[in-house]
Amino acid sequence: MGSDLFEISVNLIKMIIIFVMMVQLVPLLVWVERRGSAFIQNRLGPNRIGPLGLTQLLADAVKFIFKEEFIPEKTKKFIFYAAPVVSLIPAALAFGAIPLSMPINIEAFTMFGESYGPYRFAFQSFELGIGIVFVLGISSLGPYAMLMAGWASNNKYSLLGALRACAQSISYELALGLSIVGVLLLYGTFDFSEMIAAQQGPLNFMWFGKEVTLGFLPNWGIFYQPLGAIIFLTAVFAETNRTPFDLPEAEAELVAGYHTEYSGLKMNMFYIGEYGHMMAASALMAVFYFGGYDIPFVTAEDVNAGVTWFGQAIDPLLTTVASWAPFVGDSLAEALGFSANKAAIGTAFVFHIAMFAKILFFLWVFVWVRWTIPRFRYDQLMDLGWKTMLPWALFNTIITAIVIFIMRTNWS
Amino acid sequence: MNSLAPIIALTIFVVLFGTALLFLVSLVGPKPKNSDAKNSTYECGIDVQTTGHSKISVRYYLTAILFILFDIEIIFMYPWAIAYGDFIKEGQGLYMLGAMGVFLLIFIIGLVWEIKSKALEWD
Amino acid sequence: MDISVLLFYGLSFIVLCFALAVVVSNNPVYSAFYLAITMVSLAFVYFILQAYFIAGVQLIVYAGAVMVLFVMVLMMFDLKKEKDSFSKGRMSNFLKVSSVGWLWGLIAGAIYMSSDLLSMGATLHNKDGVGTTTKDLAKLLYTDYIFAFELLGLLLLLIAVGAVAVSRIKGGTHA
Repeated sequence: MGSDLFEISVNLIKMIIIFVMMVQLVPLLVWVERRGSAFIQNRLGPNRIGPLGLTQLLADAVKFIFKEEFIPEKTKKFIFYAAPVVSLIPAALAFGAIPLSMPINIEAFTMFGESYGPYRFAFQSFELGIGIVFVLGISSLGPYAMLMAGWASNNKYSLLGALRACAQSISYELALGLSIVGVLLLYGTFDFSEMIAAQQGPLNFMWFGKEVTLGFLPNWGIFYQPLGAIIFLTAVFAETNRTPFDLPEAEAELVAGYHTEYSGLKMNMFYIGEYGHMMAASALMAVFYFGGYDIPFVTAEDVNAGVTWFGQAIDPLLTTVASWAPFVGDSLAEALGFSANKAAIGTAFVFHIAMFAKILFFLWVFVWVRWTIPRFRYDQLMDLGWKTMLPWALFNTIITAIVIFIMRTNWS
Repeated sequence: MNSLAPIIALTIFVVLFGTALLFLVSLVGPKPKNSDAKNSTYECGIDVQTTGHSKISVRYYLTAILFILFDIEIIFMYPWAIAYGDFIKEGQGLYMLGAMGVFLLIFIIGLVWEIKSKALEWD
Repeated sequence: MDISVLLFYGLSFIVLCFALAVVVSNNPVYSAFYLAITMVSLAFVYFILQAYFIAGVQLIVYAGAVMVLFVMVLMMFDLKKEKDSFSKGRMSNFLKVSSVGWLWGLIAGAIYMSSDLLSMGATLHNKDGVGTTTKDLAKLLYTDYIFAFELLGLLLLLIAVGAVAVSRIKGGTHA
C-alpha cells in the first residue's frame, strides 16, 4: 500500500476519491438518461429546475433522503438492509481495479522541511497483476445482492425477479468470459496497464513474420477483435440488466423485480450499484478495445512537453500573484511554482480526460440503446445467450487463435 | 500481498459508507403510523394469496448447473490464452493449438448436445 | 508484525468463523450465504499467499458460480418440512452424532497430514525452474498434465449430460 505515511495517505485518499467519483456520477447519469430519453422521443424532459434541469438532481437527492424509512412485514430484516449495501461492493471494487490514467512518477521533493522519496502513484484504487480475472470474479458476485433482496423481501415478484436476474446474468457471463479469451490471446497478459501499453502507437502487426504498420489508424484492439467487441458489449448489457435485457425488472410482469419492496435511499443504492457496474463495464470496453487512456497519435512525451510549456508560461504570473499575499506569500509562491512533478500530474490528468471521454461515450451508448431497442421475451433472451452468443464467442476464440498462430509463427 | 490491503480497505470503506448512509437517512424523514394494509407485502393491491416462497421451475437450476460446467471450461482457457504467444515464440504453437483444439472440440460437442437435447428451451 | 501476516490471520479467522456459522445456522439459506462469505474470504487468503490466478478462479467458480447455484436452489424450495425432518427424530440424532465423529476425524487427519506438509514445504518452495506466475502454471498444465486436462473436459461433458438427465426425471417431491 505504501512505504511511508505520505504514500499510504495519498493512496487512501485516491481510493476514496475514485469511489466518491463513481457515486457522484450516478445522479448525473440519471439526468443524462432522462434528458436523453426525452431527446430521443422528441420530448423536453426535466428542464424546469435550474439550467437545463441540472438541479433536478439535487431535488431528487433531497426527495430520496426525506422519504419515510419503511420495511414491510415478514421481511428478513438484516438481509433486507444488507442487500443494498452489498450491491455497492462489486461495482466499487471492479471500478477501482481499472487504470483511469497513466501512473504518476513523483521525484524526490521536500515539504515542510522533510524530504520525501520518489513515489509511483497508479491512477487507480489498486494495481493488480491479474486485473481481468479479479474484475470478472468480483463482478460475478453481483447476483448475491439481487438474490438477497429478492429472498428477504418475502414477495413473489421480488423472488421471481431475483431468480430471473440471476439466471440471466450467469447465462451471459459465459459469452462475456469467452469473448475476453480473444483479448487475452491478443495481448498475452491479465494486466490492464500492459494491455494499454500494447495499444500505443499506429496500427502494426506481424504478417507472416514481417512487421506491417498502418500509420493512419491507432493500434487499438477493436481492429483485431471486432466480433469480440460486439459480443462483449452485448454481454455487458445483459450483465448490468439494462434494456433490452431488463427482464428482472420488467414492469409489466414483475412490478419492479427484485427491488419491488424497496423505497427511498435503499432503492437508490441499487441504482448506484447498477450504474457503477455500467461504469466499470464502459471502462473495460475502453481498455480492451479502445486503447484505454491512449490518445491516438499523441505520445506521453508530447503531452508532457505541452503541459510543461503551459506550466512555464503561467509560472511567472502565478508566483507574482501569490507573492502579494500577506505573511505566507513566499511559501505560497513556492507551492504554486512550476516543477517537473506538477508536469507529471498534469500529464496524467490530460490522459485521464481521454479515458473519461471514452467511458462517457460508452455510458451514452447504454442510454441510447435503452431508448431504442425494445425488451426481449425471456425465452428469446436465454436463446440469444446460449444459442447465439456463446457459439459466436467460441468461433471468435478459435479464429483468433488460428490467425495469431499463422501470423506470429516464423515460417522461414 | 501488498495489493490486498487496499482491496480490504475499500471493501470496509464501502460497507461503512452504505451502512452510515442508511442509518443517517433513517433519522430524518417522516414517521407516520403504520397500518395493516400498508405493512402487507405488495401484491398489486389485492390481499396476499400465498407465501412469498412458491415453487419455481427446475430450469433455473439446470441453467445454473450448466453455467458452472461451461464456466470451468472457460476458466481453463485463460492460462492457455496468456501463454499462447510464448509457446508460439518457442515454436510450440501447433502443439498448443492442438491441445486446446481437443478441449474445444469436447466443449463444442457438449454445447451442441445441450442445444439438441432441448435442455436450454424456455417455454 | 508485518501487515500481510496480520491480514492472513485475520482472514483465516473470518473463514473459520463463517465456516462454523454454516454448520451452526439452522436456516439453509443463511448457511448458503455464510458459505459464500467463506468462499470469498478464502479467495483473499489465496491472494495473500500470492496464488493470484487461483484466487481469481476461486472467486469466479466457487463464489460466483457454485454458491450462486446453491443460494438459488435453496431459495426455490419452501424448506419448512425438510428443516423439521432434519432437526427432529432419532435418525437425525444419529446423523448428528456420527457427523461429529466424522468432523473430529477430519480435523485430526488434517493436522496429521499438514504436519507432514510443513516439512515438505521447505524443499518445495524454492525448487529451481518452477515459477509461480500464471504463465508457469499454463506451461505445466498444457505440457506435463495435458492428459488430465483433456480428461477433465470429458468429465465436465459427462456431468452436463447427467445433470440434464436428472432434471428430466418425472415425479419426486419437487419435479
